[in-house]
Amino acid sequence: MSDHKPEKKVKPPQAFGWMAEYDDENKFLDAARKVRDSGYTRTDAFAPFPVHGIDEALGIKPTVLPWFTLIAGACGTTTALVMECWMNGYSYPYIISGKPFISLPAFIPVAFELTVLFAAFTTVFAMLGLNGLPKFSNPVFSNPKFDRATDDRFFIWVDSRDKYFNSDKVKALLEGTSPLAVDEVREDDTSTDVPKALYFGILTLILASLIPAVLVWNMRSVRSDKSRWHVFFDMDFMPYRKAQKQTTIFADGRTQRPPVPGTVPRGGYAIDDPMYLGYTPDANTAMITPDSSSVVKLVSAQEGAAQEPKPQEPAPTTQEPTPPAQEPEKPAEKPAQEPTAEPAKQEPATTEPAKQEEPKPEPAKTEPAKTEVAQEPAKPEPPKSVPATPITPAPAAQVPAAQAPAAAAQQPPVAAATPAVPDRKYLEKLPEQFQANDEMFALGRKKFEQVCSACHGFAGYGNGLVSKRAEALQSSYWLQPTSVHDERLQKQPIGQVYYTITNGKGKMAGYGSTLNVKERWAVALYVKSLQRSQNAQATDLSN
Amino acid sequence: MASEKFTSDNITLPAEWRSKRMPLAAVGAVLIVVSIFVFAGIGNGLKPFFHSYLANFMYCLTFCLGALFFVMVQHLVRASWSSAVRRVAELYASTIPFWALLFLPIIITLFGGSDALYSWNKPEGIELEAVLNKLTYLNAKFFTLRTALYFGVFIVAARLYFGMSRKQDETGDREITLKLQRWAGPMIMLFAVALNFAAFDWMMSTDPAWFSTIYGVYIFAASMLSFFAVMILTCYMLQSKGRLQKIVTVEHFHDMSKFQFGFIVFWSYIAFSQFLLYWYGNIPEETIWYRDRMDHGWGTWGLLLIATHFAVPFLGTVSRHVRRRPGLMAFWACFILVVHWLDMTFLIMPNVGGVSLMLILGHALCWIGMVLVFISLFLWRVGETPVVAIKDPWLPDSLAYQNLP
Repeated sequence: MSDHKPEKKVKPPQAFGWMAEYDDENKFLDAARKVRDSGYTRTDAFAPFPVHGIDEALGIKPTVLPWFTLIAGACGTTTALVMECWMNGYSYPYIISGKPFISLPAFIPVAFELTVLFAAFTTVFAMLGLNGLPKFSNPVFSNPKFDRATDDRFFIWVDSRDKYFNSDKVKALLEGTSPLAVDEVREDDTSTDVPKALYFGILTLILASLIPAVLVWNMRSVRSDKSRWHVFFDMDFMPYRKAQKQTTIFADGRTQRPPVPGTVPRGGYAIDDPMYLGYTPDANTAMITPDSSSVVKLVSAQEGAAQEPKPQEPAPTTQEPTPPAQEPEKPAEKPAQEPTAEPAKQEPATTEPAKQEEPKPEPAKTEPAKTEVAQEPAKPEPPKSVPATPITPAPAAQVPAAQAPAAAAQQPPVAAATPAVPDRKYLEKLPEQFQANDEMFALGRKKFEQVCSACHGFAGYGNGLVSKRAEALQSSYWLQPTSVHDERLQKQPIGQVYYTITNGKGKMAGYGSTLNVKERWAVALYVKSLQRSQNAQATDLSN
Repeated sequence: MASEKFTSDNITLPAEWRSKRMPLAAVGAVLIVVSIFVFAGIGNGLKPFFHSYLANFMYCLTFCLGALFFVMVQHLVRASWSSAVRRVAELYASTIPFWALLFLPIIITLFGGSDALYSWNKPEGIELEAVLNKLTYLNAKFFTLRTALYFGVFIVAARLYFGMSRKQDETGDREITLKLQRWAGPMIMLFAVALNFAAFDWMMSTDPAWFSTIYGVYIFAASMLSFFAVMILTCYMLQSKGRLQKIVTVEHFHDMSKFQFGFIVFWSYIAFSQFLLYWYGNIPEETIWYRDRMDHGWGTWGLLLIATHFAVPFLGTVSRHVRRRPGLMAFWACFILVVHWLDMTFLIMPNVGGVSLMLILGHALCWIGMVLVFISLFLWRVGETPVVAIKDPWLPDSLAYQNLP
C-alpha cells in the first residue's frame, strides 16, 4: 500500500464478495445449504424475519455465549459469598439479628442478586462483542436493493475474505440457486471523512455548556449594586413570624395560634388526679400544674424570699427556672448546666436547709456516691454537709412530709435554694381505679420485662443486657442502672416508683409516653412485689 | 400433515404395556401391605404407615395435579406448541378420580377416631391452645367436606378438559377449543384455591401447630416439576416403543425440559423463601417445623435435598445441548422423580420420628407399591385411547414447531 500512496484516491472500490437476492424463504434456505456445502464459512444471511433452520443451513456453529453467562454467574455467586464472609466475618463483624457472623442463609439473597447481575451484564456485553457490535456500516449497504432485506427479500452474502474465495466460482454457485439477482458487493465509496459540520456542532455544544458555569463564576466574583436574583423566592423569604408578632397570613393577625379545638397538649390533662401524678397534690401544690412552671417559679421565689434571711440573690431562681412540677428532678442535667462557680454563689442560700438536714445525714452521706454519681460535679466545692443535701430522696422518705425543708433536699441544687415546693404526698397504695390482682401483676411483669429489664435486669438488680454489654465494652460513660432492691428504693412508696417511671430520674428517661397510666401503675406494683420477693419476711409466709 | 403419523400403532399404548396393568396393581398392593408390617417393626401403631401412605399418595397425586394445571394453562395462553403432548397430560389428570378413592382410607381412619395421621382428630390429647383454636376448622366432618370439594374441583376440571378433547377427536369441532379456552381462566382460579387449601389440609395439618402461607405454592412447585419429569419420561418411553413417532419431536422435549428446569429453580426459590423467613424471624412457633427437620437425621436429608433437588439437576439441565437430547433428559426426569420422593418424605415423615433403616425401608416399599399402582391406574385409564389429540386445531402448528436457536 505504501508504494501506491499517491494513487490511493483513484483506487477503484474494493470488491467484498457476492450477494444473491431471493424472494422466497425456501430458495433462500436451499441456497444457504449449497453455500455451506461448498465449504464457504465467511458468509452471512439477511432476512426480514427469523427463519427457522437458517443457522444450521448456513453452518453457523452454536454460540459460546452461554459459557460466558455460566462463568459470569458463577463469578457473581463467588464474589457475593466471599464479600459477605469477609465483611461480616472478619473485616467488620457485626451481630445482626443474633445470627452468627458467617451465616449462609442470610447471604444467599445477595449471592442470588449478584449472580443474576453478573450473568445478565456479561451476557449482554458478550453478545455485543461476539456480534462485533456496534457496527455502523456494512459493505452490503452500498447496494440499494439491500434495503428490501427489512421488507420482503432474503439475501446471502459470501465474503471475499473467505479462505477459499474465488470470485467466478462464487458467482456461478450463487447463480445456480435460482436467485432474483446476483450482485457484487463493493466497498462503500462514500467519503469516510467526518463532516466538518459535526466538529463544529460538537464544539458549539461544548462551548454552550460552559456558559452557565461562566455566568455563575461571574456572579460570584463581581460586586454588584443590584439586589440578588432569587431563584426560589419563598425559600429565601419564608413567611414565618416570631411569636407575639403580627402576621398577614391569618385573619386575626396573630402569629401564635390558639390550640386546635379538641386537642390536649402532652401532659396537659387530669393534673390533679393522684392516679396520673402518683401523689396527692395538697393546697400548696394544687397550683403546680405541668404547664404552669412560671407560677411555680413565682411562688418559689416569694416563699424563698420570706424564709431567706438574705433575699438579695434572687438571680439564681429567676435565671434558672425551677423545673416544672412534672419534671422536678433532673439532677443529671443540672450540674451540666451550671458552671462550677455558681454553686459557690448559692452557698448562702443552701445553708439553711442543710442545717435542718443535719440530724439525719447518714443516708445522705452513704448513698449519693453510689446512686447519684451524675451529681458529682456539684459535690466537691462546698463543705461536706452542703453537697449532701440536694441529692438523695431517702431523707424524704424517712422524714414525714410535714417537714417542709426536707422536701427541698429532694430537689436539685437550684430547687434547694428555694425550698418552696413541698414534699409530695406519694400514694402508699395503688389508686382506687386499679386493683392489685393477677391481671395487674401479669401486665406489670410483661411491661417490666419488655421495657425495663433491658437495663434493670429481669430481677431488677440493675444488671440488664444493656448494662452487661456496656460493662463488657468497659464503656467509661456508662452508669450502672439503679437496683430496685436498693434500701433507698425499698422505702419508696409505690406512688414514688410510679412517679419515677413516669418522669424518669437521673439518667433514666421518663416512660410516661411509652406506657399508659395503667401500665405504669402495673409496673410500679411489679417493682414493689419484686422488692418484696427479694426481702421476704417470715411473716409473709403466713399467707 | 402426513396421515400415516396417526395410524393406531403410533398413537395408542403398546399392547404389552396394557397387559401388565393387573400384575402391576397386584404387586403394588402387596408392597403397600408389606410396608405395614415393616412399619409395625418400629412401633408407634399405624402412625408411620399412614404418614408414609400420605407422603406417597401425594407423591403420585402431584403428577396428576401438575398435569391438570398444565392442560388448563396451555388453553389459557392458547399455546400451540404443546398440542402434540397435551393428551398425555389430559390422561394423567383424568386419573384423579382414582386418587379420590385412594384417599378414602384416610377419611375412614378419621371417622374411626384415629390420630395416626392427624393429631387434631383427638382433641383430648391436645395441650396447645393454638391447636385447640383450630379445631373448628380441623375436624373430621369439615375436613371430609373440604376434601370432597377439592376432589370435586379437580375431577370436574379434569373431566371437562379430557372429555371435550375426546369429543373433538371425533368431530374436529373448533368451537370446543374456543370453549375450553374460555373456561381455562375460571378453572385455574378454582384449581389454585383448591390446591392451596388441599395442601394445607392434607399435608400441613399433619403438624397442626405449625403454619406456612407459602405451603400451597410449595406443593404447586413440586407438582409442576414432577409432572414435567413424568411427561418427559412418558414421551420418551412411548417413543422407545415406536409410539408418537414424528409427532413428539426434539423441540417438544426441549420445551418440556425448559419447563422442568424452570420449576427446579422455582421450587428452590419457594423452599428457600419459606426457610429464610422462618430462620430469620426465629419465632418458636414457626421454627419448630424446621427444628423437627434438622434433628434425628433429617438435617442430612434436608442438605441432601438442597444438593439433589436444586444444585445437581440445575447444573445438569442448564445446558441446551442436554435439553435437546431426549435420552439424557429421560435420565434427568428419573432423577427428578427420585428427589421428588425425597421432598415429599421430608415434608411428612419427620412427624413420625427420626430417620431409621426400618422407617426408610417401609417408606420405600410403600413408595414403590404406590408408584406401581399409579402406573397400573394410568394404563387402565388410557386403554385404547389415542395419546394424541388427533383433530386438535393446533396440532399442525405443534408438529411444525421449532425452537429458535
